[in-house]
Amino acid sequence: MVDAGTVHVLLGQNGAGKSTLMRILCGAHHPDAGEILIDGQAARLRSPADARRLGVAVIFQEFSLVPFLDLAQNIFLGREPGGKVPGTIDRRRMHAEARRLLDGLGLDVDTRTLAHELGVAQQQMVEIAKALSQNARILVMDEPTAALSDREVVRLFERVRALKREGVAIVYISHRLQEIFQIGDRITVLRDGKNVGSFAISTDLENPKNLENTANLENLVRLMVGRQVTMSYRERFCETPGEVLLEVRDLRAENGVRGTLDVKAGEVVGLAGLVGAGRTELARAIFGADRVVSGSVRVIGAAPGRGPAGAVRAGMALVPENRQTEGLALMRSVQDNVLVAGLRKLFPSAWYLAAKAARAASDVINRLQIATPSPARLVRFLSGGNQQKVVVGKWLAAGSRFFIFDEPTRGIDIGAKAELFHVIDRLVASGAAVLMISSELPEVVAVCDRAYVMRDKAIVGELKRADLSEENILRMAMHHG
Amino acid sequence: MKTVAYRLLAVALIATGLSLTTEAFFTLPNILNILRQASLTFLIASGLTLTILTAGLDLSVGANVGLSACLAATVMKSSGSIALGAATGLAFGALVGIVNGMMVTALKLPPFIATYGMLWTLTGVTYWFMGGDTIHGFSPGFRALGSGYWLGVPVPIYVMAAFLAAGGIFTRYTTFGHEVYAIGANREAARLSGIPVRARLNLVYTLSGAMAGLAAIVYLARLNSAEADIGEALTLPAIAAVLIGGTSLFGGVGSLMGTLVGALTLTLVVNGMNLRAIDANWQPLVTGAIVILAVWIDVVTRQRAEATV
Amino acid sequence: MDSGRSIPGAAYLLVILLVVFSIFGEGFATLPNILNIGVQGSVLLLLALPMTLIIMTEGLDLSMGAVLSLAGVVLATLLMNGHGLAVALAAAAGVGLAFGVANGVLVVLLELPPFVVTLGTLGIAQGLALVLTGGQSVVGIGDALPALYESRPFGVPFSIVSAAGAFLVFGFVMKRTRLGSYVSALGGNREALVLAGVHVNLVHVAIYAVGGLMSGLAALLLTGRMSAGHPTAAIGLEFDAIAAVIVGGTSFERGNGTLVGTLIGVLTIGVLKNGLNVMSVSSSLQVASIGVLVIAALVIDSALTALRRPAGSTA
Repeated sequence: MVDAGTVHVLLGQNGAGKSTLMRILCGAHHPDAGEILIDGQAARLRSPADARRLGVAVIFQEFSLVPFLDLAQNIFLGREPGGKVPGTIDRRRMHAEARRLLDGLGLDVDTRTLAHELGVAQQQMVEIAKALSQNARILVMDEPTAALSDREVVRLFERVRALKREGVAIVYISHRLQEIFQIGDRITVLRDGKNVGSFAISTDLENPKNLENTANLENLVRLMVGRQVTMSYRERFCETPGEVLLEVRDLRAENGVRGTLDVKAGEVVGLAGLVGAGRTELARAIFGADRVVSGSVRVIGAAPGRGPAGAVRAGMALVPENRQTEGLALMRSVQDNVLVAGLRKLFPSAWYLAAKAARAASDVINRLQIATPSPARLVRFLSGGNQQKVVVGKWLAAGSRFFIFDEPTRGIDIGAKAELFHVIDRLVASGAAVLMISSELPEVVAVCDRAYVMRDKAIVGELKRADLSEENILRMAMHHG
Repeated sequence: MKTVAYRLLAVALIATGLSLTTEAFFTLPNILNILRQASLTFLIASGLTLTILTAGLDLSVGANVGLSACLAATVMKSSGSIALGAATGLAFGALVGIVNGMMVTALKLPPFIATYGMLWTLTGVTYWFMGGDTIHGFSPGFRALGSGYWLGVPVPIYVMAAFLAAGGIFTRYTTFGHEVYAIGANREAARLSGIPVRARLNLVYTLSGAMAGLAAIVYLARLNSAEADIGEALTLPAIAAVLIGGTSLFGGVGSLMGTLVGALTLTLVVNGMNLRAIDANWQPLVTGAIVILAVWIDVVTRQRAEATV
Repeated sequence: MDSGRSIPGAAYLLVILLVVFSIFGEGFATLPNILNIGVQGSVLLLLALPMTLIIMTEGLDLSMGAVLSLAGVVLATLLMNGHGLAVALAAAAGVGLAFGVANGVLVVLLELPPFVVTLGTLGIAQGLALVLTGGQSVVGIGDALPALYESRPFGVPFSIVSAAGAFLVFGFVMKRTRLGSYVSALGGNREALVLAGVHVNLVHVAIYAVGGLMSGLAALLLTGRMSAGHPTAAIGLEFDAIAAVIVGGTSFERGNGTLVGTLIGVLTIGVLKNGLNVMSVSSSLQVASIGVLVIAALVIDSALTALRRPAGSTA
C-alpha cells in the first residue's frame, strides 16, 4: 500500500519478486491472482497504455530514451503536440513544455540536446520528466542510484522530496540501506514473492550513523533471509586444501571490478553479493573474456595466455550464467557441444577421429548421467538441468582443473540441482577447484567451503566456513560504510 | 544429412519432370553439360559456404574470380607459363581472402558490407586492368581443364569432386572444421569455450578467396578467354546454390554436399529454361526469386526451431 | 536526428578534394564543370536520401539501381508508345513503389536479412528489365522529357532543382514531423517506440517503400539525361548511394543519421569521380577508389564509435 506523497521502499534479495512486481505495475506482465487498487478503485493493467492512462510510470534501469533524438522529442515520443499541417510537430510548444518539466526537476540542460549527450544522472531526470509528462501519480523507480555519484544522488533525492510534496506516490526499489533510511517513509520486505514485513521508517535521522543501528538492520536482514531448511550437498567439506590453483592479485578490469582472491585445489569457494555487485564481471575478467587493466591472474602458478582461449589452455573453465546464449550451441548435437572445448586436447594433430570423439562424448554423458536418447540429439531439446550438464561436461572433456560456475542452479529443478552439486562435490574431491557465483544464499552456505563477498564492484570481505551464514553474507553485501 | 537427402530428392524430381516434358533433356551430352556447369558453380560456391557457415558472408567471390582469372590470363600470356599464371590467380584469390578476413576480424566490419565494398573495388580494378581488352587463345592442354573430358566425364567434375572431398574432410574430419561450425552456431559460446575465433575467421575468409582463385583457373580454361565482366554474373547464383543447399545464413548449419546439391538444382532449372527456349534474360529474375524463397525458408525454419527452445 | 552538430568529417574531405582538383585538374574549377557535378549527382542524391533512412534503421537496399533501371525502361517504353509524361512518370513511380513495398514486407514483416533479400529483388528487377527490352535501349521517347530535363527553372538545371527539392522535403519530414522522429527512434531504440504505442512496423515498411518510390522517380532524371531507357543504366548506383551515406557520417547503428552528411557525401563522391575524370583516370579505377573510400569511412566510423563509448561500461 502506497499513500500519495510518500516513498515506499521495496527491499528483497535477488529473485524475491521485485522485478516481477514492477512489470505487473507497468502492464507488461499479468498477475495470476489478487488485485491492484488505484485511488481505491480496482485497476486492470493489461498493457503499457493502460498503465499510462492510470498514471503509473515505471523507470527501469535500462532507460527508454532514443539516443539521437533531442530531449523534448524523447519526452513526448508518440504524443507529440501537433502543428498546423497534420503530421507535423509543433516544436515550439513541445520544447516549451519540455523546458517547463525539466525546470521543475532542476535540470538545467537545453531541450535541444540529444539524449546520448547526457550523463546517466541527467538521462534519469529526463526519464522522470517523461513519466511526469504523462501525469504519473505513481512512480516506480528501480535501483535509481545504481549509476549515480554521491552528489547526483543528493540532487535526485531533492527532486524526490519535491515530488512527494506534489502528492506523487513513489515505489522505490533499492538495497542501499543508507539511502533507504534517508528517503523512505515505509519499507516492505519481499521474500520468495511474498510480503514478509512492512513497517514505517523512523524519521529520527539526525544521527547519520543510524545505519549502525543494528536492531533495524538485523530486523531487515532476518526478514529478507527468513528461516530456511539447511541442506547438505557436500560429502565432506574441505579440511586440507591442496595447491593454489587460482591466484588473483589486485585485479582491475576494464568493466570496473577489482579484487584479490585465492582458490585452492579441493575447495568450493563462493562469490556472493547482490545484483550489480560485479560478480559476473569479475569472473569474466578472470577468465579473460573481458579485458584486464592491471593486476595479475595466475592459474597453477603460471599466467594464462590471452583471452578465453588462453584461459582454457591453462585449465580454466567457465559455466556461464546465460547457458543458452553463452554456453551452448543449441542447434548442434550433445556430442558436438560436449567436445567443443576439448578439441585441441583430444585431437592434438587436428585430425578429428570419429571413433575417438564418440567414445569421449559417451564417456562424459555417462559420467554426468546426461539424459539424452543419443549423443546426436540437438541440445535445444534437452531440459534445463541436462543442458547445464552438457556445459559442465564440455569442461570435463577438456580436462579443466579450475571451474567458475555463474549461477549454476538458475532455471533448473530441485532434483537437477542436487545432482549438480554432487557433480561439483566430486570434482573438487578429485583435485579440481571451483569458484561459484550464486544468489541463492542457502546454497552458498550449504555448498561452499568459504566465500568472498562483493559489493559495488569490489571484493569487500571473505567469510570462512565457521562464519559462513546468510545473515553474514547479506550484511557484508549491503553494508555501506 | 537428412535435409541433404531431401534436397537430392527434389533434384531427382525436377530432373524427372524435365525429362518427361522436354525432349532434349535426357540425353548424355545434356546431362554431362549440366554436371559440368553445376561443377563450375559449385567451385565458386564452396568457399562461400565456409564463410556462411560462420554466420558471415563473402559477397566478393564473383568479382574475385573475375579479377583472378584476368590476372592469371595476363601472366599466362606474357610469361608463356600456364603454371605461373595459375599460381598467380590462386595467390591473388587468397590475398583477397586475407584482406576480407582482416576487415572482418581486425577492423570488426560487418562481413556483408566489407565484402560488398571489396566486390566493387575488385570490379573497378578489373575493368581498369583489362582496359576493354580480351585475352584469349590458350593451349589445348590448359583448355581441357575446363572443356575437356577424361574417361568420358567432363574434367571440371573431377575438380569438383576433389573440392568436395577436400572440403568435406576439412569440415568433418578436422578440428578446424568443427570449430567453424561452433563459431557459426554461437560465436560467443565458441569464444568462451576457448576457440580462437578470430584466427578461424581469418582462415575461413582466406580459404574462400583461395577457392575463388582456383575456380578462376577452371573458369578460364572453360571460357578460353578473359574479359573484365566474367565475374559479374557469378555472385548471385553462388549465393543461391549455397542457400538452396540448406546452409543457413545464421551459421552453424549446412554442408558442402548441400551446396553441391544446390548448384545442381539451380543448374537444372536454368538448363530447363534454356531447353525450352526461354529468354536468357529471365535467369537473373528466377535466380533472385529463388534466393528470396530460400532465405525465407531459412528464416522460418530458424524461427520455428527457436520457438521450441 | 541530425548528429551534424559537429562538422562531418566528409566536409573536410570534400574541401580537400575541391582544392586538390582545382590545382591539378585542368578545367575542373569552371562553372560548367561544377554544374556538371551537380547534375550528375542529382540522381545519386535522390537515391541516397532514402538510403540514409534505411541505413539508419540498420537496413540496406541493394536493389535500388536495378529498380531505377527498370523504372527507366518502363518510363521510356510508355513515352515511346505515345503516352503522356505524367502517366509515364506515374507508372515508373508505381513500379518503384511496388518494389519498395515488397522489400519492406520481406525485411520487416517476414524478418528476412535485408542485404540478401534486396540482392534477390535486385535480380528480379534486373531480370524484368532485361526481359522487357531484350537487352536493348528504348529510344524514341519524344521531346517532352528531354525538354523538361534541359529546362532551367530559376536559371538552374532541372535535375539540380529536383534534387534540391527532394532534399528539402526529406529534411522537413525528418525534422518537423512525427514520422521523422519515429524513423530516428526506430534505429536508436525500437522498444521505446513500441512502448510509446506507435505502429513500428508500418513506419519501418514505409522507409523501404519510400526507397523504392524514389528509385522510380529518379528514373525521370536518368531517362531524361540519356534520352532513352536502358535496362542496365543504373547498375551499381546503389553502391554509390551507400557509399555517400556512409561517407557522410550515417552509421549502421543507433539511429544516428544525417541528411546533410549524405548531401556532402554525394558531393564528395561526385567531386571525386569528376576530378579523377578530369585527370584522365579511368572510370573503372574510380569505382575501385569509391570501394576503398567506403571501407575507409567504415573503419573511421567504428573507431569513432569505440572512442565515444566510455571504457568499462556494461551494456
